[in-house]
Amino acid sequence: MISERLKKIILNELNLDEFDIKDETTANQVPGWDSFNHINVILAIEKDYNIHFKGLEILKVKNIGELQRLIDSKLQN
Amino acid sequence: MFSSIDFNKFWQLFVYDPNDHLYFGSSFFLFLIFGLLIIYRLAAKKKNIKIYSLIFFSLFFYYKNSGYLFLLLFFSTFINFYFGRFIYDAKKPGLKRFLFILVIAINLGLLVYFKYTNFFLQILNELHAGNFQPLDILLPVGISFYTFKAMSYVIDIYIGTIEKPTKSLRDFSLYMFFFANILAGPIDRAAAFLPQVQEGPKVSKEDIGRAIFLIMCGLFKKNVIADYIGLNFVDRVFQVPLRFTGVENLLASYAYALQIYCDFSGYTDMALGIALLFGYKLMDNFNIPFIATSVADYWRRWHISLSTWLLDYLFKPLQMKFRSWRVWGSAAAIFLTFLGVGFWHGANWTFIVFGLLQSTYLAVSILTLKFRKAIYDKLHLTGTKFLKVFQIIITFHLLLIGAVIFRADSLKTAMNVFHQIFTYFHGVVFFQWVTGYTPVFVMILIGYVMHFIPKSFDNRIQRTITAMPVYVQALLLALMIIVVVQVESAQLQPVIYFNF
Repeated sequence: MISERLKKIILNELNLDEFDIKDETTANQVPGWDSFNHINVILAIEKDYNIHFKGLEILKVKNIGELQRLIDSKLQN
Repeated sequence: MFSSIDFNKFWQLFVYDPNDHLYFGSSFFLFLIFGLLIIYRLAAKKKNIKIYSLIFFSLFFYYKNSGYLFLLLFFSTFINFYFGRFIYDAKKPGLKRFLFILVIAINLGLLVYFKYTNFFLQILNELHAGNFQPLDILLPVGISFYTFKAMSYVIDIYIGTIEKPTKSLRDFSLYMFFFANILAGPIDRAAAFLPQVQEGPKVSKEDIGRAIFLIMCGLFKKNVIADYIGLNFVDRVFQVPLRFTGVENLLASYAYALQIYCDFSGYTDMALGIALLFGYKLMDNFNIPFIATSVADYWRRWHISLSTWLLDYLFKPLQMKFRSWRVWGSAAAIFLTFLGVGFWHGANWTFIVFGLLQSTYLAVSILTLKFRKAIYDKLHLTGTKFLKVFQIIITFHLLLIGAVIFRADSLKTAMNVFHQIFTYFHGVVFFQWVTGYTPVFVMILIGYVMHFIPKSFDNRIQRTITAMPVYVQALLLALMIIVVVQVESAQLQPVIYFNF
């Protein structure tokens, strides 16, 4: 499940009013989430949750569900 | 009965000859492909025979084009196959990382040795750092393509895009050797190709229709348009630009932009079509590049398999690394990535400057994005057709500057082309040129019109061909081959990208 918090950060960063984000949604399915905006979304998440991703962790993420799980695992540590 | 056949000559056909390569579109190639398709048909249910026949043919094909250097391909295949497994099996992250860095260093080391050693020696000589004689190094054809293919496999294992390395050296060998894309791409990904090998090749009626369409398009683009305008116009102007007026230099630049598109995308069409006939779907490489509205958009449409490779494996990691610099970080990442594009093409200052130019375009475009958007909004141009056409024309001409540098044999030649265009234009010569070079002019027109045909129209032709009976399809293909043979002005020209 994608949390409301993560969804809000993503929509906010990409200037979207509403977009249905599911576990299996990938970045290129979300309007405006291109290779340049990608880093802005990652930075916004890091700032909001006060966490730090490693480069390889982000490269491994295949969809937003996996991104959510990565964030959850960071918050637990 | 066989006394008139010179067996020695026949045998020579199968031996490497540096002056006689085996290219797509040559009659010997078509003959061999036909034979291979028959084996394929006879072994319809025997997956093993199909795979091995492709592997052996691919090796022969590569040997015919590169001689003993096919041993290097073997080496690269073994190293990457086993390192893929070692990286996957390594338990400690430190060891994983070490193995990964080692295999990347081996891959890049080979690439740098074969492609750049003499270039670096030449630079050292120019800097008066010594007097080095150039080494006798032959460039193995396709090395940039297959090394990148191999690297994508180990990188994908390391970052987890491929969940498990393949256990089959046979399957991996087919991925590495496959004759359809070994010489000039597309730089396919193992993650997309290996599952196709495992499942066994499948050829539907639609695939055959699409394959015939692609091979016909490819033959026409490469062997008719590209070779004709290249030999009869572009080569002449670029040999001595100062002998021609500015308008001719400009026309030669437009012609070259089209030539390289038809050459490379034509070759790619044939590669995709031939692969389809054997049941494999390769990655597409082109998507109407000249309608790009920005340089970034162009690189999403041109040589897609290379640009996505660099995007995934170079740009994204760099962007993550530089992320604290915000937009400047992205600009730096894109700058370095496209410097990589320049280097990838080879050891010549023209390619380095070409890469630098693309880097600069893209970095400036990132840094001025907000500013440009504000201007367009203010002028109420955002979303208008006018703006789109304006952007297409500007983008095309920005890229044309790059194309001239790319084509020229030296930076001096490129400067001469620009010099003629800007100081010795003589626009009226255009009409003389049209009468003097009418066939070239017509070819250029046909080429550009064909390029702008929307994909939906292509799809319609494909469906029509698919619906035809097999013998009509064969007849169509034969007709195209006859057209090609008629128009072909000289010996079959090697694909420009074979040099990279």
